Amino acid sequence: MAIDSLRQTEFPVTVTEAAAGLRSGELTSVALTSALLARADALDPLTGTYVTRLDDYALAQAEQADDDFANGIDKGPYQGIPIGIKDILAMAEGPTTANSLILDREWGAGKDGPVVRRLKAAGAVITGKLTTSEFAIGSPDSSKPFAIPKNPWNLDRSPGGSSAGTGNGVAAGLIMAGIGTDTGGSIRIPAAWNGVSGLMPTFGRVPKSGCVPLGYSLDHIGPLARSARDCAAMLDVIAGYHPSDESCAYRPVDDYLGGLTGDLTGVRIGIELTNHFPDESDPALRPCFDAAIAVLADLGADVVEVTLPLYGEVTTALWLMMTAEALAYHHNDLGGRWKDYYALTRSNVSRGALASAADYVQAARVRRVAQEKLAETFRGVDLVISPTAAAGALSHDEMLGRGIARIFKTVFTGYWDAVGNPALVVPMGFTDDGLPLSLQLGARPFEEGLALRAGDAFQTRTDWHLRLPKLLADSLAASP
Amino acid sequence: MDDMTETKVRLAMVAAGLSPSDEEIDSLVATYADYQAGVASLYAVPETRYASPALVFTATPVFADWAE
Repeated sequence: MAIDSLRQTEFPVTVTEAAAGLRSGELTSVALTSALLARADALDPLTGTYVTRLDDYALAQAEQADDDFANGIDKGPYQGIPIGIKDILAMAEGPTTANSLILDREWGAGKDGPVVRRLKAAGAVITGKLTTSEFAIGSPDSSKPFAIPKNPWNLDRSPGGSSAGTGNGVAAGLIMAGIGTDTGGSIRIPAAWNGVSGLMPTFGRVPKSGCVPLGYSLDHIGPLARSARDCAAMLDVIAGYHPSDESCAYRPVDDYLGGLTGDLTGVRIGIELTNHFPDESDPALRPCFDAAIAVLADLGADVVEVTLPLYGEVTTALWLMMTAEALAYHHNDLGGRWKDYYALTRSNVSRGALASAADYVQAARVRRVAQEKLAETFRGVDLVISPTAAAGALSHDEMLGRGIARIFKTVFTGYWDAVGNPALVVPMGFTDDGLPLSLQLGARPFEEGLALRAGDAFQTRTDWHLRLPKLLADSLAASP
Repeated sequence: MDDMTETKVRLAMVAAGLSPSDEEIDSLVATYADYQAGVASLYAVPETRYASPALVFTATPVFADWAE
């Protein structure tokens, strides 16, 4: 397929579609990559997706992928697929900035972290490094020399963070999928607010070495893509033990893509209502959530109500430990280069100084107790579902003004980071003003395959994940 | 907020070697009571009395290079 024939009606919007086109010969990786790079020329100045573009490298990799296809070499669904990498993971072809003036540009220079190396080996075409909140915890700051990321559904809204460029890049069609990281919600928040799918795998399922840390005991690396199926295919590539990460699990990796049966017969789903519908909830949230429950029940799931144990305490433990661990990492730089950090990074990380060492250990004890109690909950259900957030994307001013603690009273991701269980988010509808709403599915440790199966089954009956923001639809319509 | 709260916050920042502006101190002071209530709630979980913390330490050090 030539670039000028990639029109709206036939342009692949999912990795699955693109992978099929590459194998049928209807599409080449060079054409696909060129089209997405051209789109980035037009849209990235609006969305602020990229920190560093690697056009020449990407096109060379696309050419290699096409040659491999021609020679009968097939490395799996991501061969020839343009993707992006959050700019806190080391990649040999470009510097890692963490969107910060602070990080030494020599950090990770010329090296690939395990996840990047695995994606390259799978034939993925990495088009560049993507915008993150500073060190995965700040928020946009116009006084700093980095783009302000925006939400393609409404440019006055935040794309969320911290994997902002991965979320808005997938939604705006600049990349087919990408890598994010999640310490308190940084995969799932941008996935939710940008109307795409995102998976935080079980802690230890994916090696986190080669990535600038935020919270050592909480960091996860995972995929964002338009569909749960595309996330499953990427998890197949990046999951598995690596000796450089001592918290990485030495256990077999499931066949995530192969596990997408489309059937939920007998799966027991717990609905969490207690902690997920605050007063600030969008009026469309409950109807969308109820409709999602009905779809899952129609797919064969048995639905009961549950309450996540120690919800408030676990959320507190998360922020305490995250800020304490972040402060340890940033202590010397914050002391000497305070003003070089983004304002919200300073504000968030400095809170780590308010906790004592004993408080930190007590938070870790709460996490242990919560794990045990949650395991009891999971004896009665196989998945726990809730909204991902109470409303659509906040405005940029709201993001800056609310502070991280207040934001997380209406965003429901942190609990799962603290307990270590996997959680998938998928789009489930829209607010009246056209902002995406999202469904979160939590699973037992190392059972992300079940969450993916449920998310994929849900997406066989719904098309929320295939809706395109006007920004992208207009771009497609205007293409020659 | 009271003077004692502001003093506690300022002392914590000084002890950590941090130098926030007065405006940034005010922001921390404004949320300090909620923060401390959250910390107190952690000690109020009865099941933690004999619980071990969810911390990882292994005697065998990790020497593997992530770039290899």
